[in-house]
Order: sequence, then C-alpha cells, then structure tokens
Amino acid sequence: MKNPNRFDRKRLRIDHFIQWFFGSNALLAIIVLALITLFLFREGAEFFPQNLQNLRNYRLAGLEYVGIMRDQIEAHTSLNRSLQDLRLRQSNALLKRQSNALLKLGKTPEQISTALVPFDAFAASFDSSVEELRGLVSEWTDAVSEIKDKAKLREDALQQRQFLLKEGKRAEADAVRVTQIDFAAELAPIRSGFPLYRKASVAFRGKIETLLLQPPPLAARELQPRFEQFQKAARAYLASFPATERQLAKWEQFAPVPWHRAVTSFLFGKEWITNSFWQDWYGVLPLLTGSVLVAAIALAIAVPLGVCAAIYVSELATPLEQQLIKPYIEFISAIPSVVIGFFGVAVLGERLRELTQWQALSWISGFPISERLNAFTAGCLLALMAVPTIFSLAEDAINSVPRAFKEASYALGATRLQTMFRILIPASLSGIVSAVLLGFGRVIGETMVVLLCAGNRIAIPDFTQGLSAVFQPVHTMTGIVAQELGEVPNGTIHYRALFMVGLLLFFLALGINWLAQGIVRRYKISAG
Amino acid sequence: MDEIPKTAAPPEPVAHAAIEVDHLDFFYGDHQALYDIHLQIPAHKVTAFIGPSGCGKSTLLRCFNRMNDLVPVARIGHGQVRIHGTDIYGPKVDPIELRKRVGMVFQKSNPFPKSIYENVIYGLRIQGRTNRNELDEVVERSLRQAALWDEVKDRLHESGLGLSGGQQQRLCIARAIAVEPEIILMDEPCSALDPIATSKVEELIFDLKKLYTIVIVTHNMQQAGRCSDVTAFFYLGKLIEMDRTEKIFTNPGEKQTEDYITGRFG
Repeated sequence: MKNPNRFDRKRLRIDHFIQWFFGSNALLAIIVLALITLFLFREGAEFFPQNLQNLRNYRLAGLEYVGIMRDQIEAHTSLNRSLQDLRLRQSNALLKRQSNALLKLGKTPEQISTALVPFDAFAASFDSSVEELRGLVSEWTDAVSEIKDKAKLREDALQQRQFLLKEGKRAEADAVRVTQIDFAAELAPIRSGFPLYRKASVAFRGKIETLLLQPPPLAARELQPRFEQFQKAARAYLASFPATERQLAKWEQFAPVPWHRAVTSFLFGKEWITNSFWQDWYGVLPLLTGSVLVAAIALAIAVPLGVCAAIYVSELATPLEQQLIKPYIEFISAIPSVVIGFFGVAVLGERLRELTQWQALSWISGFPISERLNAFTAGCLLALMAVPTIFSLAEDAINSVPRAFKEASYALGATRLQTMFRILIPASLSGIVSAVLLGFGRVIGETMVVLLCAGNRIAIPDFTQGLSAVFQPVHTMTGIVAQELGEVPNGTIHYRALFMVGLLLFFLALGINWLAQGIVRRYKISAG
Repeated sequence: MDEIPKTAAPPEPVAHAAIEVDHLDFFYGDHQALYDIHLQIPAHKVTAFIGPSGCGKSTLLRCFNRMNDLVPVARIGHGQVRIHGTDIYGPKVDPIELRKRVGMVFQKSNPFPKSIYENVIYGLRIQGRTNRNELDEVVERSLRQAALWDEVKDRLHESGLGLSGGQQQRLCIARAIAVEPEIILMDEPCSALDPIATSKVEELIFDLKKLYTIVIVTHNMQQAGRCSDVTAFFYLGKLIEMDRTEKIFTNPGEKQTEDYITGRFG
C-alpha cells in the first residue's frame, strides 16, 4: 500500500481542473464586460469638462452676445416664412376658384399675380426692413468667430504643449507658442457698437410698425384670420425688442458658467449641431426623442401582433399551425437588420408614400406625407424585428400559466375565450409586460434600420402637428453614433459627445432590462 | 394477477340514477383506457371509485363532465354516458352547459390567482351575472357549505393563494358549488392534504351529499370506507365490482377486489 489515496487525489485534481476551467471562463467574460463598460465611462466622462470649456468659450468670445442679436434676426426670418406661406395659400385659393368653372370667379395666373401685387409689396418691404440690422450683425458674427478661432488655436497649442511635456520633450514644448488672448479687448469694439445696434434696431422697429399700420388687402378673404395671426405674432415680436436690448446691456462677458450647465446642456439641449462655423451644440434631446418616437411606433405595431400571435399559437392553433407559425416568426429574427433596412429604403418607404397619396385617406392628418424615409417607415421595420422577441417571451409567459388554472376554469363551464381573457392573460400579464419591455430594449438599441430608414434629420419632431409628427424624419441615438463616430478625430469633444450618447443608451437598456426582470421575479413569487 | 380480469356482471339498477354509463369503451389514440364500463351512480349518494393507479377511474370521472374533450386524442369508442337520462355525448349537448351542471374538484387545489371572493363567483361571472347582492349571497352560502366561511369571512378580498392547502381545497369546493351543480366530481381531493385537512374535507363531503350527487376518486381505502355509500373497484380499465361500500369492504364478491382492499397489490 504505497499510496492508498492515489485514486482520490487524481479525482480531486480533475474536479479542481473542471472547476477552474468553468470558473475562469465565467471570470473572463465578466472582466471583458467590465472593461468595455469602464472604457465607455472613461471616454465619455471627459465630455463634461470639455463641454464646459466649450460653453465658457462661447461666452468669452462673445458668441453668446452676438447670438442674442442673431436670434432676433432669426425670429424675423421665421415671420417672413409665414408671410411666404400665406402668399402660397392665397395663390392656391385663387387657383381653386379658377377651377370652379360654375362660379365664374376664376382667374388666370397673370390675374393672380396682379391680385397679389399689394401683398407682394408688403412682404418685400417686410423682408428688407431688417437689412441694416442684418448687415451689422453679420459683420459682428464674423468678428466673434475670429475671436473664437483664436481661442481654439490657443487651446490646441496648450494641448500640444501638455502632450509634449508628458512625453518629456521639454525643449520642443517650450517652442510651442501660446498666445495670450485678451477677450475683453477683443470684444470691446463690438460692445462699444451697442449704440449702432440700438439705432438699427429702432429704425427696423419703426419700419415694421409703419408696415403693420398699412396691411395689404388680401386676395382671398378667407385667409384673413391667418393674416391676423401673423400680425399678432409680429406685434409680439416687436414687443420683445426692449427685453432683447436689456439682455444685451446686462450681458457680462466674464460671468462664470456653472458646471452643471455642462450636464444639462447635454441632457436637455434641443440642438445637436456639429462642425458649425458658429457654435457646436451637443444636446441629446432631438436624438432621444427620435429614438423614443421610433421605438414607440414600433411597439404600437409589434405589441398587438406579437402578443396576439402568442395567444393564438399557445391557445387556439392546431398542432400543425403551431409547428408552422412558431419557427416562422422566430425565423424573422434571423434576417440581418441591414437587409430589413435595405427593404425599407427600396420598397416600404416609397410604397407608404404612394399609399398616403390615395385620396380616400386624405382625411388623416399629415397625409400625403412628404418624406419617404421617416420615423414611421423605420418604426414599421423595427416592429418587424421586435415581433419575434415579444412573441417568444409572451408565448413562454402564457405557457407557464399552470394547466390547473385552465382546467379549473373549463370545469366551471367557461368557454375557451373566457378562460383566455379571465384566467390566462391576467395570470401571464406580468410576463407579457416584461416581454414588451424587452422588445422595447431590442428596438431602442437597433441601429442599422434607423440609420437607413428614419430620415436622419436632427430635429425634434413638431408635435404640435399632432399625429402627423410620426411622419417626420428623425435621427436617433444609435444612428448618430454609427454615422459620426467614424469621422471624428479621437479625443475631441464631438468624439466624447458620441460616447456620452452611447452611455445614455447603455443606461436606458440597463434600466429596461432591470425593470423587466423585476416584473418577472415578482410574478414568480405571486404564483408560487 | 397476470391474466386480464373479466368484466363484472352489471350491477343491479338503482332507484334514482344520476349518471348511467352504458357499455363505455374509451380510447386515448390507439390505447384503450376503458373497457365496456357499465354502471349507475345513485343520486344524492357518495360514490367512490377505487383501484390502482392507471386503472381508468380518473378517465371515467372526466368522461362525466367531458373534460376529456380537452385532450386532443381522446375519444369514445362505444357506449353512452347519460346524466338524468340525457346522453351527454349527444349532438345537441353543449359541453359548456354540461360543465355548469357537473362540477369538479381537482387533485391539486387550484384556486385562481384572484381574491377569495372572485374565486368563488368565477362561475357566475362567466355566466354574466353582476348583481352585487346576489353575488355576495352566493359567496356566503358557498363558503358556508364548504365550511370555510368562518375562517375567511374577514379577508374575502385577499388572494386565494394565501390560504393553507386544506383551505385552498375547500375554496375550490366552494367555487364548484357556487354554480349550483347537480353532480360534483372529485378527483382525489385529499391526496395533497394533511390528515386534519383531510378529515375536514371528508366531513364536508358527508354534509354535501344531501344537496349533491358526489363521485369521488380516491387512493385511500379508509377514505372510501368512511365517506362513501357505494364503491366501485376498477382494474386495468375494467369495472371489477360495484356495490354498497360496507359490502365491498366486508364481503367483496370478487377475489381481485378483496386482494386490493386487503393490500395484497395496488
């Protein structure tokens, strides 16, 4: 008996090895995931200081100051647009009368032009009333842009020097020239130009006031309310002038920018503007709205389809139907998303637009739609991708309702429908809800389809237009990352902003999964 | 006991038969589960079905309210089941209506994940009855009949799943009698209960027979002896013997019955 425990030891070693093998695999997976998360955080976190610096420069270089005037001019431009819209409506109204031959009120195109002469004159002088102010502001715009460029150069130089110092090349670092910028002095000529602005503004105001006193006769009487709306808006615009002036007078170049603005301007910023000559804005709101809108459309379509299909397959279908439907729906999830996106671009978008041009549907708001690729097109396709997820999970939930519930219900004289609606669906509701949530997670993280089919216009859809907002093109969080990340230089604020968008998506998906799991867990307790 | 037992001679007709089974053959697909069952179940009595597992007693029970319809491959080969003279597999019979008249209590208590109140009135709800007073009355009456009222009257709107096993089973009985069936089928109602809960349910069965005809499937010989008036012994899908319970337990006519009851097999 040399070694009585020899066999046991060997056994022990194999056990250890197996334990080690599986354990290390699990560990590796966790480490990799943790590293990815850490990388996301590290790259994204830098965004906030950079964004703060961005906002500070905006103020220091005077962009904010000139921006107030630019907003004033922008408001005038939008009033101008509504005048042009009014002109179009008038000429359309006249054309319609022309086609109504019985009434003999018709007018030829030449007659229409003649009829609109007074209005055109009014619109033209309204348009030109801003010229003086515009000239002034555009001059100053160029000036502050120059200051901003200088600040940018200085920052780049500073960065370069820091980099060289880090590398240990002291001599080269000292050679980098960092110019000092006296922001106050740079901006002084513009600030001292305030009386000029005031003069131009007063003259501008006077012109509009005189114009408003002599409203042109409208060629189409029924558009009078619209014109009155315009007049009201124009008066409100004029009334805002003193406030603008006060704002300009009160503006301080060296007022500190609070740090939380770096966060809020990202989370609640309504503009995502990059590579602009003026100022870059990284506000995630338009992208978030786009993502949520597309996902909501997708769910509105996919939830009834997926849940009803699940109920049908688990309760009503014959065994043959079950064998056909289940694999078929699950097969949809095997289609690569780029193929679905391709289908959307090539087929669905155009077909949808043709459908909306159909006269019988013209009563629906927003029809006919103008854009082929919009939130609705993308939503339809995403619905297709969410159906398998929702279907499979909802079917599991319904199947996991104990058979005893069903039998008890039947034994009490319930019909199949009653058993379904009173027992099966209530009992599996939490499972169905979590299926829907996971479907939402699937949809909000989808990239290819929205990139191809959502229209990629970075703007918050105009929800004041009601339901037709769903037919507007949008851009999404996933789409913007895929589109822009390849083109931005490493480490710039734009690059970091994209990482922040990724992080936001990460948290969104995390929250949804957490919620879904919580619901399932609670359901399990209540059924046990 | 290897040879296939022969079928017993038809028992003598009973005065008031609630259920009459007429030479019934029953199949699951190709497998024959019941062979030529011929018996009559007396009204307002408790009839016990005993026999080893897989002998077909539960299958026969489920023929009485057509629960077997839910099994896709189940079919009746030959014979009839009549309840109060009506062939329940006849073309004009609606199984939904039938199940309102023939209630069932299952082996494992299965209250719905709803409140106690909603559990009891489920059968009425699906019939579209909404009168609050009527429903309240039914809940109280059914729970009193099921000897559960005093235990739950203060928590009618709590979940039925919060009750103990015995209480859950009595709740299921209350749910079955709320729709006022004529017959109650019980498929091993006490097999998952402890002795105290079992004796409560047995007392209940004894009380309920004044109002309902009860058929109970059981594995427990003592239970069959204690609470049934008539006992039928099945073996391998055949009815071996059916008689008054005292007779079956004291002086069975067939040797197989005696062997089973005395515990020689089963």
